[in-house]
Amino acid sequence: MSLRVFRDLFGGAKSANYHRRKRARDRRTFLALSAPGLIWYMLLMVWPLVYMFYISLLRWDGMLKPKTFIGLANFTRMFADPHFEHAVVNTGIHLLIGIPAVMPVAFILGFFLSRRPAGYRLLRVVFFIPAMASVAALALMFVGIYLPDGILNTILRGMGLDELTRAWLANTKTALPAIIAIDVWSGIGFYGVLFFAALSNVSDELYEAAMLDGAGLWTSMWRIAFPLSLDFFGLFTMLHFLWILLGAAQNVLLLTKGGPGDHTLTLGYYLYDQAFLSRRLGYSQALGVFVFVIGVLGMLIIRRLTTRKYE
Amino acid sequence: MISSFIQRFVRRLRDGKTVFTIGGYVLSVLYGLTVLIPVYFVLVSSFKPNMEIFGAPLALPSHITFENYADAVRIAKLPRAMGISLGVTAGAEILTLVLAFPVAYAIARIRTRLAPIVEGFFSLGFLIPAFATLVPIYLMTAAIGLLYNPVALILIYPAFKLPVTVLLLASYMRSVPRELEESAEIDGATRLQMIYHIFFPLARPGVVTVVVLNFIDIWNEFLFALVLMNMKNRTLQIAVSSLKGERLLDYGLMAAGIIITLLPVYIVFLIFQEQVVRGLYAGAVKS
Repeated sequence: MSLRVFRDLFGGAKSANYHRRKRARDRRTFLALSAPGLIWYMLLMVWPLVYMFYISLLRWDGMLKPKTFIGLANFTRMFADPHFEHAVVNTGIHLLIGIPAVMPVAFILGFFLSRRPAGYRLLRVVFFIPAMASVAALALMFVGIYLPDGILNTILRGMGLDELTRAWLANTKTALPAIIAIDVWSGIGFYGVLFFAALSNVSDELYEAAMLDGAGLWTSMWRIAFPLSLDFFGLFTMLHFLWILLGAAQNVLLLTKGGPGDHTLTLGYYLYDQAFLSRRLGYSQALGVFVFVIGVLGMLIIRRLTTRKYE
Repeated sequence: MISSFIQRFVRRLRDGKTVFTIGGYVLSVLYGLTVLIPVYFVLVSSFKPNMEIFGAPLALPSHITFENYADAVRIAKLPRAMGISLGVTAGAEILTLVLAFPVAYAIARIRTRLAPIVEGFFSLGFLIPAFATLVPIYLMTAAIGLLYNPVALILIYPAFKLPVTVLLLASYMRSVPRELEESAEIDGATRLQMIYHIFFPLARPGVVTVVVLNFIDIWNEFLFALVLMNMKNRTLQIAVSSLKGERLLDYGLMAAGIIITLLPVYIVFLIFQEQVVRGLYAGAVKS
């Protein structure tokens, strides 16, 4: 820290050309104040990403084993790996079902709450219950829902639908949908409340004016509220996309470990499995690079689709 | 009178308001039930002996027992895990504030061309999911000898929370009026005196919001705690998830564990509801 910055922070005699030097000094003070945070952020968020690209070029079978530079061999191996193919397909299904199942419903619920119907505060608390729970708590909860004797089957039996009951997480047909349902379930409430927050600033007059023109609430929701919140819609979709791409692997880890077979193997979980269970650090980071590229591409696409077009 | 009521009803039906409201309630109640039934199930299960849980999962317990809680605390060694979680959360919260407050202040109050650049740089952090950094951070932690040491979590969590904390605090600080600082500056106060005596108290509501948001995320964090800690130093989330046995399933035990992890978060959420909802929304929008 230079003397001038020191003087600005702690005081001291003001030099004659105080004002002329103010700009340069402001810049130094700015850097001094932001340096610790910036360094922390670069070291633990930005650098690990760079490091990931480097590790992906290595053959490295465990921390204590030697590293060998093998160029792009991990990537050629990846594209020939049947597990990788399963993981891509499962992650694709998860995204294609998970995003459309959450965002429109969340938007409708958020719009409904933003009109402040009686009891909206209570509904908001209820909707947020899944979002506040940790992945560990939710996973344990869903164990009790999906067990052969769990509440899902109990409810189905109670409705006389015995033939629909099954061991949801052990069944090859229902394991992946069961995993997807967890994020659909928690996502609807979470993004519903966020849409509520986004839409509660819209003035009533805007809707009332539309109603005078003969539009119903359903129409004004799509004609007025939706275009107004298109930016949020895109943003929340991106957050949910990133969560499904990587975060959701925690549910797989806690509930199925990718099984039965590869039926719930997702890219995020495969990355974890390769790094910490199979000890193929280099290969796991090649998967990481692939997921990173998919993540960036996905966000560009979502942005493109939800950016307003002015005609 | 009845006819005028019917007329009003028909008019409301026609403008779609009633239909929309009914539809909205139906959807909300259906979704609410899918949330409340499992929560109710976990809650009653935590007070039931295991034999009773799956015989009639949704029935009230025939008598309330705290055995599941006692067992969960004993088997998963929850007091130690709870202590580690508390220590990690407190440490990471403080470090996050210490790192983020000066940056946010600089962005909000010092006029230089660097400010928007740094702000934009932090907002890119939203695009980096913490998961992507898992393996490199694991290797880095091992390299500096902090593997299995809770201090590692105290150092790492703030990095994940910095982007949202900096952006939220900066936007909050911009809304604090400048007059007080200007008069203090005329009185000859130095910048640090100003930050400490005037700015910090004024920015307190913003600080409360980020502390609450970060508490929920740090307390709930699972993946890094799982990979970076061992049996001895595991956090509450990891300890509770260990109650899910690989073969034997004791759901009463798991239910008690779930309730123990959820309780602190829901208490905080119920007290700071407005801050949580607005803060999460603002945090998302800032990026």
